[in-house]
Amino acid sequence: MFFKLDSFTLIGINAIRVSVEVHLSRGLPEFIIVGLPGKAVNESRQRVRSAVLNSGFDFPIKKIIVNLSPADIKKDGSFYDLPIALAILAASGQIKYDISEKSCFVGELSLDGKINPVKGLISMAEEARDIGKKYFLVPCEIASQASFIYGVDIVACKTLSEAVEAFTCRENIRKFICRDKIGSVSSRGNSYDLDFSDVKGQLRAKRALEIAVSGRHNIILIGPPGSGKTMLARRAVTIMPDLNLEECIEVTKVYSLYEKYVNRLIQERPFRNPHHTISRAGLIGGGANPRPGEISLAHRGLLFLDEFSQFPKNFIEDLRQPLENKEIIITRSHLSYSFPCNFMLIMATNPCYCGYFGDESRKCVCSQREIQKFWKKMSGPVMDRIDMRVTVARLPEKSFINTGTSENSNKIKSRIEKCLRIQNERFKGKKISYNAEVGINIINEWLRDDKKIRDLIYTISGKYNLTARGTVSILKVSRTIADLENSDIIKENHVIEAINYRMGYGCNPESNF
Amino acid sequence: MIMKIENKEKILYILIDMKIKPSKFMDIYRQNNGDINKTIKYFLEYENLKLNLETGERNNHDPETDMHKRDKYGYLKVIDYMLKNKVELLCIGDHGYPDILKQIYSPPPLLFFKGNKIKEMEFSIAIVGSRKCTAYGREVAGYISRNLSEIGITVVSGLALGIDSYAHKAALEGKGGTIGILGCGIDIVYPPENKLLYEEITIKGSIVTEYFPAIPPLKSNFPVRNRIISGLCRGVIVIEAGEKSGAVITCEMALKQNREVFAVPGNIFSPASKGCHKLIKNGAKLVERIDDILEEFSQVCQENLKLRSDYNLTDHMKVQGRQDIGVRGNEARIYEFIGFRAKSVEEIVRYSKMEVREVLGILASLEIKQLIREDSFNKYSRLF
Repeated sequence: MFFKLDSFTLIGINAIRVSVEVHLSRGLPEFIIVGLPGKAVNESRQRVRSAVLNSGFDFPIKKIIVNLSPADIKKDGSFYDLPIALAILAASGQIKYDISEKSCFVGELSLDGKINPVKGLISMAEEARDIGKKYFLVPCEIASQASFIYGVDIVACKTLSEAVEAFTCRENIRKFICRDKIGSVSSRGNSYDLDFSDVKGQLRAKRALEIAVSGRHNIILIGPPGSGKTMLARRAVTIMPDLNLEECIEVTKVYSLYEKYVNRLIQERPFRNPHHTISRAGLIGGGANPRPGEISLAHRGLLFLDEFSQFPKNFIEDLRQPLENKEIIITRSHLSYSFPCNFMLIMATNPCYCGYFGDESRKCVCSQREIQKFWKKMSGPVMDRIDMRVTVARLPEKSFINTGTSENSNKIKSRIEKCLRIQNERFKGKKISYNAEVGINIINEWLRDDKKIRDLIYTISGKYNLTARGTVSILKVSRTIADLENSDIIKENHVIEAINYRMGYGCNPESNF
Repeated sequence: MIMKIENKEKILYILIDMKIKPSKFMDIYRQNNGDINKTIKYFLEYENLKLNLETGERNNHDPETDMHKRDKYGYLKVIDYMLKNKVELLCIGDHGYPDILKQIYSPPPLLFFKGNKIKEMEFSIAIVGSRKCTAYGREVAGYISRNLSEIGITVVSGLALGIDSYAHKAALEGKGGTIGILGCGIDIVYPPENKLLYEEITIKGSIVTEYFPAIPPLKSNFPVRNRIISGLCRGVIVIEAGEKSGAVITCEMALKQNREVFAVPGNIFSPASKGCHKLIKNGAKLVERIDDILEEFSQVCQENLKLRSDYNLTDHMKVQGRQDIGVRGNEARIYEFIGFRAKSVEEIVRYSKMEVREVLGILASLEIKQLIREDSFNKYSRLF
């Protein structure tokens, strides 16, 4: 009267195996779940009972004890409805499984026996493969989410009866296996509705974004209201190279934790644009049961903080560590949860409180003190991690109807892909993969034999009062510009162009106001 | 033991403990035809009389001797403060009190100062302007101030933000030095952003105020202070002033004090130069070059200043290199195109038919060579 099935629970982004053990014994009819069940798990008793009865099976009138092992980890969520139901059916002898040892199960049951989606499916599928399972039974609606995991067959069932059908007979299971796989994640065209060619003018900002995406430099766009900062930032995601399969899986993992109905492998670069009223947990991740925040949802994609100056200062400080580590670890008393957050940061802000500092046609009404106060909030450690600062000006009306065509996203994207290949080659075997991540020692290596460039850098940093960080930023950006031109060495013109993205009007509040 | 009490101490006593307003003091001073000793005597006798009335006694001894005993309102504290903080005091009769300042209607009876420039300056010109200046104003303030200071002219200004600060900074580089006139007590650095500048000026120039220590920078102090700025100088140069600004007030004072008024023109569309243009319309001299200023003083300049012989009609603009700016090829083409009206990056790219990256490179290198300047976001104009 004992039966055991495997299921999973989620800790952060990772799944771990949970055994669902059912024991039926004589005694007063009772249905108990042990093993630190949360509220949702405890309530599954009612769902399981109804689903079993409504699927045409008998619910045993016995003392039923369900144990979720390991028993010392808190379990929450509705993953265990299906495994508990299946285990009860087997333990009561109503059905006999053929391949339960090699399988694992998750799914929420509705009262009529239908299997509903759950979170984190793709992480579980990976874990299933890693612990050597052959079949993984999942809710049919979201099965394609997990079908890209090789080495484990995803069995997609709509109802409890189908699940029973699939697992009682080895032949039957084939027709339930989800075959949504395609050979690989194919190269796609621009799947967004947006395109870089929508942006008229703004040549400097466009070029800057191309460089920023190429070298994964974080960038801040500074400009008056209506100058197109948001428009530009939204389009930056269209020139990022396609995700490869591995990256797609990483992204889908995060999103499947965030919402239940992820019914496919996510293949677009994420673009997250949180409003500045967001909570700290919403941005960084957290909560009693830690959930990924916006920085994790932007993993492998873009995090765009519009009206950056409106974000609370401490939130911005919170970004420092994730920017460096590409991972956020949230520690609670019982466990630590880690979520990936390898994102590119784009920020946009007005240049001052009234927004019109540096605008050609409207006069800024802020006092110098106000402007300094405005910038004070942003200076410091986070600004140090932002390699590029670019001003965006409002365009005169007539240039909107200018018919001149500009490059579309795909063309820019192909250049960027080339540039990324060069970087991959360069950083092979190292921990880093982008120019933006290199440290000062690597830069010194680049410049070892180039006295001309070193002299130029000294002149510039002297002239503009650059900090050490500022100089390093310019060099990193120069390297990316050189890569875009397929040049092995950093040349003078690369450095000079890079200065553009550091020195712009008003970008250096200490010296310019 | 009877110590000789200096005039400044007596005046401090009169102004602080007897609560005589400086303007009242100056009225009496004028009635006595500028004899400071008589003026002081007048007030002290008046004080003595008042005391006699109060006490009902006839007490005819010299009021000077027990002045410090009667200190109710703390003039001794001021003296104490000055000794501790190396603040010095000039009173109107003193040797070293600028003669030019005595000529105005109501010169301050006392000047607190740090740094000795005020006593040594021979010839000075004021530079005033908006606190919210544009990049253009900054450029002009620096240029004019530097050149004036180089030929030994002291630049006077109000130590405010904007034009004032840039004028002070540039003047510190030359031998003329600079004097900052405060609208508050000398112990207060206002605005606080200028702390470094304040300290630099105390070393190489002078910080001067007529206000007693600890007087806050009240709004009403500044127009009053402006009369000293113009009073100390032969001329006032206005660089960027809004229609109703302190700089324009200073010019009104300057005209009343019979000083020359100069104004630097700006872009006709720029609200920042409206006040300057109005002044020019009303007869202020338009300044394009340093010589425009020096011409007006050629007589005085040669007498009062031992100037280098070559300063006369030297076109400083030319020296800075209109002839050979050292740009070639595409750089020169773009430089020529940019002109003095601001052009956007987009316009420049369209004109040059070059790649954006090349244009951006050229713009940066021209900016480094200080030939062009970013006027507003992504818009460039020529400096020379």
